[in-house]
Amino acid sequence: MSCNPYMPMPAKLENVVQETANIKTFLVRPEKPLVFKAGQFIALTVPGIGEAPFTPSSSPSISEKIEITIMRVGRVTEKLHALKPGADLAIRGPLGQPYPLEKYHGQEVLIVGGGVGLAPLRALLFALFEDMGKYKKIFVRYGAKTPADIVYRQAVEAGWGRKEMDVVITVDKRDAGWSGNEGVVTKILAPDKLKCNPKEGVAVVCGPPIMMKFATLELLHLGFAPENIYLSMEKNMSCGIGKCGHCRLGPFYACKDGPVFSFDRIKNLQKIWD
Amino acid sequence: MYKLEKTNLDDFLRTVSKDREVYALEQAGSQYHLIRSDAWQAGKHTLGAFRPVEPLKALVFHPRDLLGSLGDTAPGADIPERIVIGAKNCDVSALKIHDYVFLNTAPVDPAYKEAREKTIIVSCDCTDACEVCFCPAVREQPYPKAGFDINLSPTDRGYVVEAGSERGRQLLEKAGKMLSAADAAILKERDQNRQKLLEKVCAQTEKMGLTCGADLRQAVEKSQGKKIWDDFAEDCVECGACNLICCTCHCFLLADGRGKNNATSRVRQWDSCLYKNFATVAGGANPRRHRAERLHNRFDKKFSFFPEVLGCYACDGCGRCVEACTGKIDIRKVLKRAVNEL
Repeated sequence: MSCNPYMPMPAKLENVVQETANIKTFLVRPEKPLVFKAGQFIALTVPGIGEAPFTPSSSPSISEKIEITIMRVGRVTEKLHALKPGADLAIRGPLGQPYPLEKYHGQEVLIVGGGVGLAPLRALLFALFEDMGKYKKIFVRYGAKTPADIVYRQAVEAGWGRKEMDVVITVDKRDAGWSGNEGVVTKILAPDKLKCNPKEGVAVVCGPPIMMKFATLELLHLGFAPENIYLSMEKNMSCGIGKCGHCRLGPFYACKDGPVFSFDRIKNLQKIWD
Repeated sequence: MYKLEKTNLDDFLRTVSKDREVYALEQAGSQYHLIRSDAWQAGKHTLGAFRPVEPLKALVFHPRDLLGSLGDTAPGADIPERIVIGAKNCDVSALKIHDYVFLNTAPVDPAYKEAREKTIIVSCDCTDACEVCFCPAVREQPYPKAGFDINLSPTDRGYVVEAGSERGRQLLEKAGKMLSAADAAILKERDQNRQKLLEKVCAQTEKMGLTCGADLRQAVEKSQGKKIWDDFAEDCVECGACNLICCTCHCFLLADGRGKNNATSRVRQWDSCLYKNFATVAGGANPRRHRAERLHNRFDKKFSFFPEVLGCYACDGCGRCVEACTGKIDIRKVLKRAVNEL
């Protein structure tokens, strides 16, 4: 991080991959390596337009270039989506707290993603892959609106080429070519689709708030302890370092104390799903 | 603890403020304004009976700071050495909030650090209260206990002068020949003055129905979602004046634009949690869609968040928000109702 924590370092956009109609993965090369851990986020600046927070989706063991998967949804992402390789960007980070991987050791890890929420979970998966022996088993349950909205589709459908992983996908609404599951993501968390042991497991959830809410309720129902359910809280962030006040969540700042919180820390707070 | 003769006040202040930009109080009608000048000017400047219209925070946490251009590694504009004369306890105590946010919680905010280091604070006991003062209700008092470099307590026998920091002590050495050891009589008078004014502010606060010492944290926490906020929010026009004039509010926005030579520049500017989109995310979701929720949030930050993380309210009872509010929302009435509905 530069000596002024509000100022980003220059970066170049090296490549853009169209994932879905409104989601692209941007390969960004910072001027200097940016070392981050899975779950930490960065603030990406489109010069002259503004800055927005994103969690990298690439492996945390690579710091020279970072992949960031971004849905076109607001002012900054609209501009980002119009950029071509070679464009000037700026990047600030790492920000926030990483996933507490040491707490996942010896556990079954259930990863539940919804839509573009799979992006930060992909960085987590890459971190888990580096140390597969430390985790009992890895499950991925992913839901997208339609087959065309599945991000990293080839990799997801191939289970990242790892036979030991248990990956199940669902879509809210099938299309003519889809023969897989149909329905919201909680359907593939049901015991007939998920042979995991919640007593020896942690669940990591990232997706739209409504999906996280119902996934959490389902996970609790399955027997996951609140402290073993990890949620990514999406809040309006400006500074990313716990000073500007925007992302307050009860006694926490989502940017500084999160963005990932175990459910027990936030379950008594109001309006966490809004 | 020293004594300063009344007749030496101007000399004393000129000595301690030498070679510094001076921020001092000027009286305008029944109010005071905090105004920059080159030196302490007898007659024009005053220590003031109570706090000025402008909050002290604006000197160290500027309303709008140009942080620099993208890729620019040069530090921001230099802040000159300066001295504030006549700051009151509410403003001095409020800096503990800004210190917590910008200095004592990593990472350090470099612009704030520089401004803070270059600002000497010469505070002064209040000798009167304005109508909206209510500091005893938020566990404060009309004289500073800490946070100053030098404090002055006016009495009929002269001023009690106290150093509150190492640099305050060093400054007092420069004015050594004007100071003598404070005797028991002047200290007794100072304590009596303080007690008398504390009682006066207490009485005017309680006349508004707000009991000094009431548990405001519990009252605000328990009031969430209740009708009190709908009722008061009816008068809120979301102008943000309460936030901007507040001596403790610290929220800001980082905003980007194009500066000189089309260079991308980033500014840090004050923001208001009453603004509708303060917490709205890019996708449009807003955890505080209703004005009542945003009004409660403002109180929750002051009376729940800061007690939790710092052990004190983020309100020092200066009453500026009462004067500034376009909708005439009176924080004392809000707190009173929250306490009464407990």
